Amino acid sequence: MAETIRTIRARYEQWSGIVANQLFLLPIAAVFLLLFVIPLGQSFFYSLTDFNGYSRKMNFVGAKNYFRAFTDSAMTASLGFTFLYAIATTLIVTMLAIPLAVMLDRKFFGRDFVRAVFFFPAIPSIAVLGLVWSFILSPLGSGAINTVLQLVNLGPVPWLADSALAQLSTILVSVWAQTGWHAILYLAYIQSIPADLYEAATIDGASPRQQFFRITLPLLVPAMTVSQVLLLTGGLKVFDLPFTLTKGGPGYATTTMTQAIIQRGLGQAKFGEASALAVVFMLFVLVIVVFQIVVARRLERQFQ
Amino acid sequence: MNAVKRRGAILTSIVMLALAVVVGLPFYYIVVNTLKTQRETAIAPLGLPSSLYLDNYLTVFQTVPILQSFLNTLYVTAISVVLMLLIGSMAAYGMIMRKSHFNRWFGIALLLAFMVPFQTTLIPLYQALAGIHMVDTLNGLIAMYSAGSIFCYFLIQGYMRTVPYEIIEAARIDGCSTFGIYWRIVLPLIRPILITVGVFQTMWVWNDFITPNVFISSSGKQTLVLQVYTAVSQFSVNWPAFMTLTVIVLVPVVIFFIAMQKYIVKGLVSGGVKA
Repeated sequence: MAETIRTIRARYEQWSGIVANQLFLLPIAAVFLLLFVIPLGQSFFYSLTDFNGYSRKMNFVGAKNYFRAFTDSAMTASLGFTFLYAIATTLIVTMLAIPLAVMLDRKFFGRDFVRAVFFFPAIPSIAVLGLVWSFILSPLGSGAINTVLQLVNLGPVPWLADSALAQLSTILVSVWAQTGWHAILYLAYIQSIPADLYEAATIDGASPRQQFFRITLPLLVPAMTVSQVLLLTGGLKVFDLPFTLTKGGPGYATTTMTQAIIQRGLGQAKFGEASALAVVFMLFVLVIVVFQIVVARRLERQFQ
Repeated sequence: MNAVKRRGAILTSIVMLALAVVVGLPFYYIVVNTLKTQRETAIAPLGLPSSLYLDNYLTVFQTVPILQSFLNTLYVTAISVVLMLLIGSMAAYGMIMRKSHFNRWFGIALLLAFMVPFQTTLIPLYQALAGIHMVDTLNGLIAMYSAGSIFCYFLIQGYMRTVPYEIIEAARIDGCSTFGIYWRIVLPLIRPILITVGVFQTMWVWNDFITPNVFISSSGKQTLVLQVYTAVSQFSVNWPAFMTLTVIVLVPVVIFFIAMQKYIVKGLVSGGVKA
């Protein structure tokens, strides 16, 4: 009798321990269910219907919304610009940030100040910076850059009023805002490279150029993985900067996929079309990120 | 050799300082124009002000409810970040203390959820919030930001592995409850990662534009970033006033940056944060 009570108590204690422990997972399970699983399922479901968000009546339309996502001119334009933006910012920021990091690693007068200035644009809200730049790049003669250009009898240049120029301006402002942040990331990795590697290379007669390409760059491959995944996913998900700088215009020249989703879904109440676009968008992001990580792993192995 | 090196350093210094000036020019532009009249700004956008002119600051404080927006932002940021850290650290603790099959699969599911972009769930979430009358409320924003707790979970869990298990075991033998161990032993031990993650999530929530832009419509519930956005049309011709508002909004961010610089760089290095 005493034996069974003891085992029952032991079992009770074991179970209550497990329950107490699993209770710690309850809040994140709620977040997971309410903010991810259920809305994701709804997005999939809506993407196959003509649901408009208000009427209870909805019809199953099959893959029609998905065809629209690839044929509707506004949607293809947003796909095109989002890819252009993501790839261009990733490439340009990487090409500028690595040399910048090498320079910031050297000893020179005012180094801390220079580092802080380059890093600073990453601190304020990019939306606020986008608004400020919209004043600086204003196509009007009174825009800051156009006023300066007028002093040397140039312009006014329609920075944000011309499609190609607006796309270029958006990408360049983004490069301005992000390069310093990524340079500091690379700098941290450069600082962890042992100095004797360079000393040995110098003794062996390697030029600074050779040292950069044979020592620094290969050892920066892990940093490049981190930096480029952030740049590419951030670029695909971008909304704040193009929207505050140009509102997506002129026309659809700088409309991002996110903006298209919001406009279709919440602006025009075309839930079906917006959801199809959202699902396509998610698949793009997943495929690109997985592809990028696989390539990066392979590169890392090659250099080790 | 030494002279060559020195010349190199001077050259580097000149080039880098010049580049820094170019990169910093937009900030100079913002600040300097807050001290000018509209006429001065139009004629010489980059010139220094002719006299100390502070009317722009008066105009902005009189016409824009900055204090209200500041308090809104502070409320949303503080509650969201505390909530995210709490949910994330609780989950990390639960996962580390009990390594069952279920928990392992749940961890993988969380990783998949982490890859889902916000844009994909946005429309159903908007609908759900509308259904419970939480669109256009600050608490609705907090509910949206709590999605960030999955990101917190991953970073905290990575750090929590470094906590020596013997301490937890010793506490358990001494009769400390599951919650007691979490609250009194684990949380103090993982303080460094809580600060790092907290700093990053603070910057995300404070600076976020897309969520308030979608969910907030009444002016009394705006965050600071949204306030600046709506002020563009209000000050569409009064550029100095707009720049002044920007400067006022940037002040808390700059103070935060200076105070937290150490943690920002540390977090950036410890595995490339920022989703």
